[in-house]
Amino acid sequence: MASPRFILAFLFTICLSCVSYLEPWYQKWSGAENRSGDFLSVLIGDSRRLFSNQMVAKADAYFHSGYYPTIFDAPKEKEESHLSGDNDAEAGHDEDHDEQPGSTNHVEHAEHQHSATCGHNQKSEDGFLGPPKDWIDRFGRKFFPSQHSHLESGGEREILPWLRLSAELDPQRIDTYTVAAYWLRKRLGKIDEAEQFLRDGLRANPDSYELYFQLGQIFAENRNNLVRARNLLEIALRKWQEQEKAGLKPNELSYQQITGNLAKLEEKSGNVAQAIFYLKLLQEKSPVPQTIQQQIDDLQKK
Amino acid sequence: MNNALAVSGIVLKELYRRKDFYVLFILTALITLVMGSFKLFNDDKIVRYLKEICLLLIWVSSMVIAITTAARQLPAEKENRTIFPLLAKPITRGQLVLGKFLGCWFSSGLALLLFYVFFGVISGTREHQWPVLNYLQALSLHWIFLGVVIALVLLGSVVFTAVSSNATISFIVIVGILFVARHLNKIALQLAEPGRSIVYTIYFAVPHLELFDVRQLIIHNLPLIPWNMWLIACVYGIAYSLFFLLATWMVFRRKSLN
Amino acid sequence: MSAILEIKNLRVEYRSREAGQGIKLAVNDLNLKVQAGEVFGFLGPNGAGKTTTMNVLLGFVNPTSGSASIFGVDVREPIARQRIGYLPELTYYYKFLNTEELLRFYAKIFRIPRAERESRIDAALKLVELEHARKRLIRTYSKGMQQRVGLAQALINNPDLLILDEPTSGLDPIGRMKVREIIQRLKNDGKTVFFSSHELGEVETVCDRVAILNQGQLKVEGRVNDLVDQYKCDLEQIFLKIIGYEVAA
Ligand SMILES: Nc1ncnc2c1ncn2[C@@H]1O[C@H](COP(=O)(O)OP(=O)(O)OP(=O)(O)O)[C@@H](O)[C@H]1O
Ligand SMILES: [Mg+2]
Repeated sequence: MASPRFILAFLFTICLSCVSYLEPWYQKWSGAENRSGDFLSVLIGDSRRLFSNQMVAKADAYFHSGYYPTIFDAPKEKEESHLSGDNDAEAGHDEDHDEQPGSTNHVEHAEHQHSATCGHNQKSEDGFLGPPKDWIDRFGRKFFPSQHSHLESGGEREILPWLRLSAELDPQRIDTYTVAAYWLRKRLGKIDEAEQFLRDGLRANPDSYELYFQLGQIFAENRNNLVRARNLLEIALRKWQEQEKAGLKPNELSYQQITGNLAKLEEKSGNVAQAIFYLKLLQEKSPVPQTIQQQIDDLQKK
Repeated sequence: MNNALAVSGIVLKELYRRKDFYVLFILTALITLVMGSFKLFNDDKIVRYLKEICLLLIWVSSMVIAITTAARQLPAEKENRTIFPLLAKPITRGQLVLGKFLGCWFSSGLALLLFYVFFGVISGTREHQWPVLNYLQALSLHWIFLGVVIALVLLGSVVFTAVSSNATISFIVIVGILFVARHLNKIALQLAEPGRSIVYTIYFAVPHLELFDVRQLIIHNLPLIPWNMWLIACVYGIAYSLFFLLATWMVFRRKSLN
Repeated sequence: MSAILEIKNLRVEYRSREAGQGIKLAVNDLNLKVQAGEVFGFLGPNGAGKTTTMNVLLGFVNPTSGSASIFGVDVREPIARQRIGYLPELTYYYKFLNTEELLRFYAKIFRIPRAERESRIDAALKLVELEHARKRLIRTYSKGMQQRVGLAQALINNPDLLILDEPTSGLDPIGRMKVREIIQRLKNDGKTVFFSSHELGEVETVCDRVAILNQGQLKVEGRVNDLVDQYKCDLEQIFLKIIGYEVAA
């Protein structure tokens, strides 16, 4: 009679061999639809998109040092001002703004838009919380963040882990990459890390004009490598145009940013004609064509 | 009181001779350290996410410890029939309940102390600042919170027959309070009349346990809570603990033991 | 002589959980007095209501009607228990303690002064012959050893009244003899012992008086000698007769 230990070892061996036999087969079978095939997506499946949203919200909350509305606090306002793209508000801004990523998140354009966005929420000094409704409410505010504030002087790095996690959960979510790259590049001086993260994003989203644009900006502004920057921005423009042709309604603001920056880049490189070409492209979609015309005229004078 | 302290000593002994506490602590420490070992964007100054994870684990572990130990106390005495030789001695049932409460409370306090020291070391080595007073506030409020939880669970343990159902129900109630109690007034405002009064009543009646959860203040290095407010919160929590303890005693006082 | 233990018209009903089962009458109108200095044997077949009666005496079970008092104090008052030693029928003690710690804990509850505590513990352990195992966790004890722990804890406060529910169950012959000796000694010291047992032989040797209970009702009560005289047979046969079990001649 074999000892139980022997049987145990035998069963374990069978399990192992089954796994090693089945695993490649499973990989093949699941590979087609499950590109990333990573642990998280297997674990929580499609609900990871929801979690990803949660992580972006978390990053936003961190940016406000925990002062952040919950689903119980004026849910509609939160939806508009913190998560969705304020594209209309943004399009009116001038060139300076073009340096910003296709902003869809409060975090990234807080500096420029602070008053605009928060004013939306802050009907009074108390912000989304409103004046205390009763004594428990008033008392309770001493025990959680109830003052509006923003991270600064390097503290912004604290939002990054959540964006990273968001990207892990939903690799197809573009703004995670752009927002994180923005902070890394602009505030924390971590150019390499920003580039790396954007490239991660590109691997998951090879057709994203936003990511190409951001990457191009890194080379234009931080690396002073105009050749590569031009290359990347041109790809971005091409991707945008392809998507428009395919009827995918790509973001117009991004188009303005891409063409505007291409024009700037060409101007810097001395290719005035090319710069004017891009400005004309920009003018087609710009809400302020006169201003662009002004720039074209200025360029032509040179 | 002497009797109660003697009983609490037994509870403490049981806790440190059982293994579950160590397991939870090691698990918390391990997860935190693993999380902390990720190099995110080559930036080792990023720390708040780590504080958040660590504190979350501490909260969950401490609640698990408190609820499981408290829920077990009186039923296990009955189940193992240890309550018979004990109550045959000059100890009142009130003293027994109080002793069980104190034992669970002290032991969870010790566990908390260990957890917070670990937390302090982790965050301190990263942030290079030691806001000891803030941590003390968080620790004390957390401890008071556990007192309310333990008293509530003890009450549950004399009301419900099964330990597991008591633990589950208590856990759901407590987590529910932590998440929504603060917002019940807003929910009430959105409701039509009978509902509104009901929700408002609940809002004022439930123990506002979320007050004791000051993790966000700690994570984001926000200033201290004014000490008078802290004191009021402590009194508030202790009052609720006493309320539940009294209720436990009233149910347990005249209960037949078989 | 005054009654140390007095039970008046005691009636205990158990309500069954299952619907339709009705109520179970465990003790029916029981009257009993135990005098100071007596060794009193409380007898009856399984399920007669002995343990239930003792549970009432210690306040574990509330009587449906009637009352009981110890030292003239209602049993629901905890002071009544300062001078009692109680050995439950089936008990496991805290498994995560060793005997020494257990006895120390009980000694604290009896408010035995610190100076006296350790010597009392030593004495109790010596009496039940558990000195060699005093530092071992109770979890590792055999049944008989646990029963000895029970005896030790019942004696730790040097009680005036002992309520012992089947003190010899699970003990080996030497252990039983020991228990008999202990009871005898306690009696010599002027203590009162109220105990239940199925060992009629030993009851006959140590008891002054006995009561026999059947189905919750008191059937016979009296001095052992008187009963033997009256029935002209030994206690065992009296017992069988009373519970209605005819012995084949
Ligand atoms: N918790 C309970 N619920 C319902 N009935 C009970 C309960 N405890 C005891 N009884 C019943 O009460 C009666 C008396 O039980 P008790 O335990 O007092 O008997 P006993 O005389 O101690 O018997 P034994 O010699 O077996 O120990 C029994 O019929 C028993 O079934
Ligand atoms: Mg019995």
